Amino acid sequence: MKEKTSRSRLVSIFLSALVPGLGQLIQKKYRAAIAIFLAVATSIAVVAWYGKPAWYILPALIWLWNIWDASSLPGGKNAVLPILLWLLMAYGIGGQVTEFNLRALVENSKRSKDIVSAMFQLDFTQPKTEKKEGFTDIQSPCSATPPVPDRTVNGVRVYVVEPCATVNQTITVKGEGFWPNTPTLIYWQNPIGGKAMDAQVKSDAQGNVSLEWVVSPYVHSTAPDPTVPQIHRIKVSQSRPIGGIELSDVGGYVVQGIYETLALAFLSTIVGALIAIPFGFLAARNLMTGNPVTTAIFLVTRTILNIVRSIESLIIAIIFVIIVGLGPFPGMIAITIHTVAALGKLYSEVIEGIDSGPIDAVKATGASWPQVVRYAVIPQVVPTFTALTIYRWDINIRSSTIIGFVGGGGIGFFLWQWIVLQDYRAVGTAFVAIAVVVIILDFFSARIRERLV
Amino acid sequence: MLKVEHLTKVYPNGTVALKDLSFEVPDGEFLVIIGLSGSGKSTLLRCINRLIDPTEGKITMDGIDITAAKGAELRHIRRQIGMIFQHFNLVKRSSVMTNVLSGRLGYLNSWSSTLGYFPHEEKERALAAMTRVGIADKVHSRADALSGGQQQRVGIARTLMQEPKLILADEPVASLDPVLAHSIMQYIEKLNEEDNVSVICSLHYLDLIQRYAERVIGLKDGVKVFEGLPSEINRAKFKEIYGEEAQDMRATALV
Repeated sequence: MKEKTSRSRLVSIFLSALVPGLGQLIQKKYRAAIAIFLAVATSIAVVAWYGKPAWYILPALIWLWNIWDASSLPGGKNAVLPILLWLLMAYGIGGQVTEFNLRALVENSKRSKDIVSAMFQLDFTQPKTEKKEGFTDIQSPCSATPPVPDRTVNGVRVYVVEPCATVNQTITVKGEGFWPNTPTLIYWQNPIGGKAMDAQVKSDAQGNVSLEWVVSPYVHSTAPDPTVPQIHRIKVSQSRPIGGIELSDVGGYVVQGIYETLALAFLSTIVGALIAIPFGFLAARNLMTGNPVTTAIFLVTRTILNIVRSIESLIIAIIFVIIVGLGPFPGMIAITIHTVAALGKLYSEVIEGIDSGPIDAVKATGASWPQVVRYAVIPQVVPTFTALTIYRWDINIRSSTIIGFVGGGGIGFFLWQWIVLQDYRAVGTAFVAIAVVVIILDFFSARIRERLV
Repeated sequence: MLKVEHLTKVYPNGTVALKDLSFEVPDGEFLVIIGLSGSGKSTLLRCINRLIDPTEGKITMDGIDITAAKGAELRHIRRQIGMIFQHFNLVKRSSVMTNVLSGRLGYLNSWSSTLGYFPHEEKERALAAMTRVGIADKVHSRADALSGGQQQRVGIARTLMQEPKLILADEPVASLDPVLAHSIMQYIEKLNEEDNVSVICSLHYLDLIQRYAERVIGLKDGVKVFEGLPSEINRAKFKEIYGEEAQDMRATALV
């Protein structure tokens, strides 16, 4: 008897050493056998895919444990050890695959400090200023008969002493009729409107400006042929504060972007909710599972809603950017579609949860179908529908801030450009604006929903 | 006169709720149905106004076949049959006024009432109905702001709006305390006596049965096991209908 036991034990050990779990299998410990086999097989597969042989130590240890386990059959050993080994393999390799790297956070602290400190210098407003500007056109390079570089506009005269500009030679720019003793910006516009050179001077007590300027070869950088004479423009501009503040350029874009984002979220929520209502009724189990035809409609509607809901609205937006082009419209379509799917599902759950008692009662009075819906169904679902819709609006505001990253318009579109242009002051301004708007609307939507439910 | 002939109801899952049930209700009678939960009382009442479609058998009211009625004809029959529910079945978020007015829907134009329009005289009628059951001061309250007894009175007022020939009361006092139970039963009795409305009411308490019923039908597993006067129900009969473990249940025993 004893001999038989030890022989079957030896067979188990041998089989488990050969194929993990096989020893357990012939002892009829099916679940343990499958678990052991899967643990060894998956860990070997993961290590083989990862390609660093040192990690094979973990599946090997699980294998050894499996032999040890087979030696103690039919009792078996506590499975904590192999589970820990398997988790060590999964998280260890997982951590390396995701390039988990805490050092990077510290190593780049200098660069991140520059970026973050720029983000705290919000660029939303600027002091209000007034401007005094003059300009003259000038030819470069020179032709035989250049036009005279001398122009007076609104009592402000700008002229160049030389008749035209040759690269690497000095010209003398003069201005009259400016504000006295004021910092003045002089800049060179090439024929396509780009700024080629600029200089800062100060006007004298009479309001005259004078500058000796070496013409840089850069003024011809956009010309197809730098030997052909073209008309350039020299602009002289003063600005001074007049008290008060106004929106800066970035501030203006932020306001426009936020406005677009809110409009986009609002419109897609309303349109999405309206479309979602019929879907909600079609996807309500209690209304639709009466006969085979409506049950089929119910199943199809549910499936469609579930599939569409699982597609992130950013991905839908990318598709519609391709179809209808950049701007808030594709973003709106994407968020609307996602809203229909999400709200349709939620609405159907609300309808499934209504009390059938009032429906029976109103039906029993001899009411027609529209009357039953109006007096027994709608009063029960409207408050929850409204609360869900407002909650969805909340979500849509957040997702419409980033829908611009793929060209879907709104503040996200500006934000993405500023990130690419590394204008971190503008990025910080946009962050703050988004946060403020989301927090305010969050607050109000929570208050409204509280009163509804 | 309501006539029920060979009524049978088998639910799709195979449960036989009513088996070959026949009886008559003369105009103005107060008939009480007794029986355990699941004995088929609710199914019977709901077959009469066709909230449930019977499997076999025939129900007629004044010679009109209810079981064969469809569409507009069925709605026409339904508006003459009021129903009072154990859980009141009010639309909780609507006002008392709207709940009472909904009892009149069967008489009104489907579309204008769907848009929320009720003629002035219907509002007057609703106020009169509320006055009759003593809740005129709650017109503008939300239905769920009322106590259980008040909600059941709203249910009665809603039924009054139908100007019914017959009232089906499905355990109307089962979720109320004993004192309220009597008060609600008295309102139903008053309708029965003053307006000559027939009443079919399912009840559980022996004292309420003996106090209000003119005639009693006992159901057990969907089969009629008793039909007779309330005075004929002694303790033995009651036990036969309700089973051995039945206690002598009296609504007022707790008071």
